[in-house]
Amino acid sequence: MGRIGGTGMTDLLFYALSALAIWSGWRVFRVDSMIRATFALMVSFTSVGGIAVLMAADYIGVATVFMMAVEMMVMGLFMVMFMMNPAGLNPMQMVHQYKFSIAAGVLGFVGLATAVLLTNFPDNPLPENRDTLRDLGIELLGGSMLIFETAGVTLLATMVGAVALSSRRGRFGDSDAGAAPPGLHPGGEPAGRKVEKGGGHGGHGGHGGHQMNMEKTKQDSSDDPHKGHGNMSETEA
Amino acid sequence: MMTFALAFAILILVLALGIWFAAVLDGVFSRQLSGHGTVGLLAPFHASAVYLTQQRLRTEAPDQLNWFLSIAGYLSVAATGLAVVPFGPDLAVIGLDTSVVFWGACESLIVVLVFLHGWSPNAPLSLIGAYRYVAIGLPIMLPSMFVLIAVAIPAQSLDLRDIVASQETVWNVIRQPLGLPLFLLLGLSLTLRGPFDYADSDDLAGGTSAEDSGANRAGWQVARLAMLVGFSAVASAAFLGGYLGPVLPGFVWVIIKTLVVMAIVIGLSHLLVRLPVARMLGLIWKILLPISFLDLLWAGLVALA
Repeated sequence: MGRIGGTGMTDLLFYALSALAIWSGWRVFRVDSMIRATFALMVSFTSVGGIAVLMAADYIGVATVFMMAVEMMVMGLFMVMFMMNPAGLNPMQMVHQYKFSIAAGVLGFVGLATAVLLTNFPDNPLPENRDTLRDLGIELLGGSMLIFETAGVTLLATMVGAVALSSRRGRFGDSDAGAAPPGLHPGGEPAGRKVEKGGGHGGHGGHGGHQMNMEKTKQDSSDDPHKGHGNMSETEA
Repeated sequence: MMTFALAFAILILVLALGIWFAAVLDGVFSRQLSGHGTVGLLAPFHASAVYLTQQRLRTEAPDQLNWFLSIAGYLSVAATGLAVVPFGPDLAVIGLDTSVVFWGACESLIVVLVFLHGWSPNAPLSLIGAYRYVAIGLPIMLPSMFVLIAVAIPAQSLDLRDIVASQETVWNVIRQPLGLPLFLLLGLSLTLRGPFDYADSDDLAGGTSAEDSGANRAGWQVARLAMLVGFSAVASAAFLGGYLGPVLPGFVWVIIKTLVVMAIVIGLSHLLVRLPVARMLGLIWKILLPISFLDLLWAGLVALA
């Protein structure tokens, strides 16, 4: 694209998007929550995608936004999942290893800035209606389109298959068999409170995992005030 | 500049008309099926007036900025998605060579925004809705991507304008019969409806919108309906020939087809049941995704034939 109004408009948009990219990039290190940091990074990448669209690299720009939104969503979710901070809303310290990261940041900035300043960028303006998308496709894939597509679909199918196969056997038994906690000793019966068969309470604690011991007895729930103490066993009908 | 102003005016018209139509039709369906809700052409306005006059409640330590941004963002992504839909030959608000990919970017931003909407209030039910939605909202996008690539094949372009033009002889809904049904499922997910309503469902007392009140609640509900309009317009352009049609001007056909798709989505959302999250995940990954591969393969073979 890049044909929004005159040159002045494009320039203005470029500066606005650059400022947003830098500001949100800085926010990544200043906010106190995983989710905020993740989505600040997403805004930064989205702005860079917008700049790519301004530079007539439609596909790369839009695809950047597309990929980054999905990627950051997954990343944020997994980071929160593996942290001790439920939901990531509680304030937490997001930065660590100060000396190392400052050194790495300065080195990275100087290196990239030098690369930008020393590179000889080509200066050959293309005609207004040049189909850059087609150029990009030919450049990236050329004659190997079929191989690329086949490999892509095969990889995706492999990933889905691997997840489906590996996720069935979980920590508490097969995922499609219902959840039951492990035994107190190897091969023992499941630990935790026994679920009353057909009882209203008990929730989803352990259906299907231990039918054996539910068939024999049913324990009165201790929070029933009319029954006495102790376990009054009664055979189930 | 003239065409841009015209396209923009049509966009506003489609959006306003569509939101109102969807709200009325939703009322009709809930009245018929559950006996609740009010039916009437003015009922949506009454409902929003009630919301707007209510007090706005706060939760404990919410993320106010992201809460507001998620509602505003959801509404604007809906309008942006609608903006790539051509209302006539070369009459789109955003004329982009890669508009199908652009719509894909909108789809993925929607998941982010719905998650943020549930996360920001700092409340349990809305957070559960947010997490549950991400688990379903992300994988259901994959089949939709494949069916969109499939409609791009006969047009040999990623531009929605070319895709509409390529349906001059036969619409994609006939040429690629698996495409529209799969895409409609995505619509249910994007608009948080019926069998894909894992975000805002009744079992979570409203899910991500459980803590919305006053103008915020009205805004979120309007945004959901706007998203339905945007999605339906994209579906009608990709599968039902968009502005193509006899006698009437192109944009009228866009409106008619959009309303038809909306009616189908609203009907599905009231008539289909919702599966548990785990079973829905199995359905998406093991059944819907392979079907979308078949759709793509079919499109490729037809293009070669």
